Amino acid sequence: MARSWTLATSYARRELRGGLAGFRVFLACLTLGVAAIAGVGSVSSALVEGLSQEGQTILGGDVALRLAHREATPEEFAYISQGTRVTKNAEMRAMAQAPRTDERTLIELKSVDGLYPLYGDVTLNPQMDLADALAKKEGRFGVAVEPNLMDRLNAQVGDILKIGELDVELRAVIEHEPDRVGGGLALGPRVFVNDAAMAETGLIRQGSLVQFFYRIQMPEDARTNGAVAAWVDDLREALPDAGWRIQDRSDSAPSVRRFVERVALFLSLVGLTALVVGGVGVGNAVNSYLEGKREVIATFKCLGAPGTLIFQMYLVQVMALAIVGVVLGLLLGSIIPFVVQQVAGDMIPIPTRFALYMGPLVLAGAYGLLTALAFAIWPLARAREIPASSLFRDLITPTRRWPRVPYILATGFSLLGLVGLAVGLTEERLFAIWFVVGAAASFVILRLTAVGFMALAKRAPRIRVPELRLAIANLHRPGAATSSVVLSLGLGLTLLVAVSLIDGNISQQVSDELPDRAPSFFFVDIGPDQVDGFEALVRAVDGVHEFNRVPMLRGKITDVAGTASENLSVPPNVKWALQGDRGITYSREMPEGSTLVRGDWWPQDYSGKMLVSLSEELAAGFGVGPGDEITVNVLGRNLTAEIANTREIDWTTVGINFVLVFSPGVLESAPHTFLATVSMDAGEEAALQRSVTRAYPNITSVRVKEALEAVNSMVEDFALAVRAISMVTLVAGVLVLGGAMAAGHRRRVYDAVVLKVLGATRGRVLTAYLYEYALLGFGTAIIASAAGGLVAWLVITQVMDARWTFLPGTLVATVVGAAVLTIVLGLAGTWQALSAKAAPVLRAE
Amino acid sequence: MNVDHAATSSSLSSGSASQDAVVQLQDVHLTLPSDAGDVNILRGISLDVAKGEAVGLVGPSGSGKSTLLMVLAGLERQSSGSVHLAGADFSKLNEDGLAKFRLAHVGIVFQSFHLVPTMTALENVAVPLELAGHADPFGKAAEELEHVGLGHRLSHYPGQLSGGEQQRVALARAVAGDPEILLADEPTGNLDGTTGEQIIDLMFDLHKRRGTTMVLITHDADLAQACDRVVRLRDGQVENIAPGTGRVMPQDKVTG
Repeated sequence: MARSWTLATSYARRELRGGLAGFRVFLACLTLGVAAIAGVGSVSSALVEGLSQEGQTILGGDVALRLAHREATPEEFAYISQGTRVTKNAEMRAMAQAPRTDERTLIELKSVDGLYPLYGDVTLNPQMDLADALAKKEGRFGVAVEPNLMDRLNAQVGDILKIGELDVELRAVIEHEPDRVGGGLALGPRVFVNDAAMAETGLIRQGSLVQFFYRIQMPEDARTNGAVAAWVDDLREALPDAGWRIQDRSDSAPSVRRFVERVALFLSLVGLTALVVGGVGVGNAVNSYLEGKREVIATFKCLGAPGTLIFQMYLVQVMALAIVGVVLGLLLGSIIPFVVQQVAGDMIPIPTRFALYMGPLVLAGAYGLLTALAFAIWPLARAREIPASSLFRDLITPTRRWPRVPYILATGFSLLGLVGLAVGLTEERLFAIWFVVGAAASFVILRLTAVGFMALAKRAPRIRVPELRLAIANLHRPGAATSSVVLSLGLGLTLLVAVSLIDGNISQQVSDELPDRAPSFFFVDIGPDQVDGFEALVRAVDGVHEFNRVPMLRGKITDVAGTASENLSVPPNVKWALQGDRGITYSREMPEGSTLVRGDWWPQDYSGKMLVSLSEELAAGFGVGPGDEITVNVLGRNLTAEIANTREIDWTTVGINFVLVFSPGVLESAPHTFLATVSMDAGEEAALQRSVTRAYPNITSVRVKEALEAVNSMVEDFALAVRAISMVTLVAGVLVLGGAMAAGHRRRVYDAVVLKVLGATRGRVLTAYLYEYALLGFGTAIIASAAGGLVAWLVITQVMDARWTFLPGTLVATVVGAAVLTIVLGLAGTWQALSAKAAPVLRAE
Repeated sequence: MNVDHAATSSSLSSGSASQDAVVQLQDVHLTLPSDAGDVNILRGISLDVAKGEAVGLVGPSGSGKSTLLMVLAGLERQSSGSVHLAGADFSKLNEDGLAKFRLAHVGIVFQSFHLVPTMTALENVAVPLELAGHADPFGKAAEELEHVGLGHRLSHYPGQLSGGEQQRVALARAVAGDPEILLADEPTGNLDGTTGEQIIDLMFDLHKRRGTTMVLITHDADLAQACDRVVRLRDGQVENIAPGTGRVMPQDKVTG
């Protein structure tokens, strides 16, 4: 066995002296796919590593504690500040108004004390100290603001802004805020004020939606992940009922990290798809290489070489080339992060650590070699099986014999290896499995349709137009590239169509449909003493159709049916409910947009043990139902309520709804504010916002249109990235197409010459090729559109539970684009064939 | 038929076309560039072929026979001199014009068949008919294949046919459009004696029945003699011309 391999290797080396002609597409396919996966892996490693290395800067401390509605009690503060440095920040949404321009906007207000920031630096323009910028000067506090506030308010440095009840001076623009990433979704620009100014704004009232952050810096010798974790454990034990969300430096921005990891997973799966599409090109290249080696194989066989030796000899050659392709891909992929850093380094909002990461490179290399194996074994094994005599006729009578079982198994194992790596190395296993299943299903569907397509072409009635008949015949002729082109180009297109349709549907929802159904405004932090006056004011404004208000508090679920929430293991779809605090409310009637699933709603005049109505999704995820108890920490108090019923909530109405609705009673007496929604004519929105800000400076108005625009632009950015990577798959498909064209080039030259000898003009030969490529392009695009549409429909309706909108424009663009691409590439490859002089070709044959 | 040769009359060397000449070559030169400098392949060939005549072109390798045939087919352009076929002046036709001319007037049979490997026998024969807009290209193609004895091989690909069968397909394809001129470049060169004989019989049969003008390149002296006249080329020039003996067809042999 070993001798056989040695012999095979030495024959392979001799054959490779002949050069690598015909392997350009092979190399390009592997290099592209490996580079894409290696690049995505390296960039995401740089991001995740950056997040983890800069944990304390992103968090703003070694530990960050967050409280809703309330500040830490003196006892709590005493505990956390023992031997540590603590900075306190209050963060809330509020309104800022510029009296000079009479513009107003929603802001993300953050108050800081003298210790802030504990890690990293705040940089301002003009350059000055943060404390200095915010200090009270000549009776007026200063603020530092993010640049986009200047645009929104049409303001400039030196202007007076009104925040709540306080006039402040705009002193500087924030160029860098070290712990920005740690914050959540920003609906408005950041504005810094100092503690004293915050107190004077009058925005912090009982029940207002303010969050207090305590960021803690450990003594220098205790700034390790282990020491920090121990400190956090002690804190949990000492103050179990504080109800704060605790984060430490080891995972400073879990949602950002999760997001980066998910995007990276998705993009590497897309990269893997590109690699598999390229695998078709790999297989084709091996096939046509062996085609050219038929005489050599036949000669070897005549000289007594066993089939195994033939297989090994060419496997060694193919894998040697595969290694070249993979190495090229890895080189390219490892450069990508540095290119990203050069081109977009400033635009990445999170810290990055660009370096060479071995993990993703090894993984990408493994993917590349497995793909090469999976697609090369089959043609190699077939070449080994075919007797020398029939080697010469394979083009006309394709051998239907399958490779021997060991080779089929080897192909299967290589594919399983690919799937195993893709699924096994991620925490999002379910997603990876679905992706692989979807890709495999698309692969099979496209392969079957290709076969059907060719069968259809074969059975097509003889058409009177000879050019068209020739084109149709070319699609199903022995050795036609139809099958591999439909498969490879189709897979790339399927992905692109699916991504475009999903993106299009989300955009449609966010920018077109939601605004129609959504209210015009959300108003938050309406004090109990303001709520009636506020309602009267709103109702007096022209164009208001609807006004709703509900009480609102924030609370953190701490215990579910007797198990502390940190000990609960719940499915990923409900994990969010246990992270941080949730909006909660109380009500006598069931909220609109809800359908009772289990249990009963409490009577109108209910007064008794505290009851809660839970969303069915959460109840199912927690594994609880009516009769079980749930504990929520509100303002530092643990409130336990019995689950009375579960509701199915229709979130698409964008009305007010809460996963937790309590029976009135205890919560009524807790300090809280109200949340109101207003639906009105778009033309009057600015007027309403103006009069509300004037009358109630502390009430924050969220204009839904603006918020949706912010969300939509995020969705668009993300979709752009996804589409860019999907293009890699399409490029791989185009490479395969190009490879197929190149492989058939000699045949086409010959065909064109013979046709010309028989009296066909160049125009007619060209027309025939045009028809052929158009049929191929349109056919592939239609199949891919159907498959991609199906995938998108499944994702939108089944996974996202959203309404499906058919987007014919996207489909038409895809179909036409793909057809044009195929025609242009095909003709580019054929042009030379058309202009070939007849005499030399005829003589050479 | 006239040949511009020292020994022949000069009346026809003026280039004026005789009334019944289908092929008229006047002082045709062809020079091709090569690494070793220009190569003069045809060096002043003048030749007329009358309608319905069969001419055998003979000569050693490199004498320019095949190139001359390429020029006659409009597949190679002369460097100088004039080429008229069926009244058409080749120098006035572009590549597409020449293609259309072939479609209407010329059938060609090659030594190595030149069938399209990915088309069946029937499809190969139908191509020129389809290109010409024939009303029933496949019916006619099938008929032609019947004529050459391949009615049972219609759906076979060239790779599934023997050499003789492939050449019969090529012949059927060449004559399917009823061309006035049939050009053949060593049509039996790749075939064994018996098979070659069958092809030649078929060709002469068609030539006789349809009155097709035929120019036949061959190394086979007997075959050349079977033509009406034999033109011998050497070094790109006509060396001499001799009358042939004519073909004795199998049926003539039987009846005669």
